[in-house]
Amino acid sequence: MFTHLIVGAAGFNIGDALFYAILFIILMWVVKIFAWKPVTKMMQNRADKIAKDIDTAEKSRNEAVELAKKREEALVHSQEEANEIINKAQQTGDKRRESIISEAQADVKNIKENAEKDIEQQKRDALASIKNDVADLSIEIASKIIKKNLDANNQKALIDSYIEGLGNNESK
Amino acid sequence: MDPTRTFQFLGLTFNVGNMISGVIVAAIVFVFVFVCSRHLQIKPKGKQNLLEYMIDFTNGIVKSTMPSGSTRDYGLWVFTLFYFILVSNLLGLFLHIEVGGIVYVKSPTADPVVAMTFALMSLLIAQYSSVMKLGYKGHFETYMQPISFLLPVNLMEELTNFLTLGIRVYGNIFAGELLAGLIAKLAFSNGIVTLAVSAPLELLWQGFSVFIGCIQAYVFVTLSCVYVSQKLSIEE
Repeated sequence: MFTHLIVGAAGFNIGDALFYAILFIILMWVVKIFAWKPVTKMMQNRADKIAKDIDTAEKSRNEAVELAKKREEALVHSQEEANEIINKAQQTGDKRRESIISEAQADVKNIKENAEKDIEQQKRDALASIKNDVADLSIEIASKIIKKNLDANNQKALIDSYIEGLGNNESK
Repeated sequence: MDPTRTFQFLGLTFNVGNMISGVIVAAIVFVFVFVCSRHLQIKPKGKQNLLEYMIDFTNGIVKSTMPSGSTRDYGLWVFTLFYFILVSNLLGLFLHIEVGGIVYVKSPTADPVVAMTFALMSLLIAQYSSVMKLGYKGHFETYMQPISFLLPVNLMEELTNFLTLGIRVYGNIFAGELLAGLIAKLAFSNGIVTLAVSAPLELLWQGFSVFIGCIQAYVFVTLSCVYVSQKLSIEE
């Protein structure tokens, strides 16, 4: 039994050694073709993909932060703009109101002046036409009275009364 | 020595039992790896995870012992070597076929020839790596480092590396099988009494042998890597 413990006891079969060497090489070859290459390639692909995903995530996170910042800025900006628009509108409204009022006032003044002028004119016209009428009437009356009776006293009283009436009229 | 069936071919002696065991081991390793590597996905699950774990394990051995970047060159060799020796160590524990007193299936590594074959392979790969790195002249000069009269010592070191690497795994597995066989013989020697005593003993020893088989496969592969990396890390 102790012959087992000596290496050469079983006969050092070179054939077995050769057989195992070839067997191992063939096994290594088929393992390489069917498993090693695809699996290591897959592992490499995965490592690459994970690295890429991490980069992409980092990038998109930065983009999101930037976008949020931009939006906030835009929000602030738009609020300012809105305030400005409202202010402007108020100002234009005020201006417009003032201009309308002043225009209306000017118009009113103008109209009043025109009306006064018209009234004056009409008064003057009326006075002039009345004077003419009075003159005509007086001439007519005079002629009628002269035709009727040329009494000096009567005539004098008549003319006086006329003149008095005219003076009253004029002083009005 | 147990009788073996051998035949002569081209002047070489072949042991049929060793050949059958070797083919069975290679078939187990290949079928397992083949089945696990079907339908590979970027997002692994189930058997692909297992295979990737196995690859990572042997790559871890390479990374921890060799210079960085060696996985590309030695990963496949270490992977195949580890799982071949692991299955070889464990095969005899659950499969032992004996026909007419001649053993046909057992642990291949329980045979010194097989163990020494793999040790020789590791040694040759170490030498080859050294030659590839330093060239033939540089390679043989390393045997005269640090002083030329240390040449015999260096050569002796190579030889002892080779011998201890092979004999370590052979001795462990052979002793494991021998003791398992002895316990089995004891079990059937004196009827029910010895059977009752031997059964738990055999169970215990089988479990221990599985442990030893795994450890020895790991040690064998790690030492192979160390021998190669010793050759790779020599300064020019």
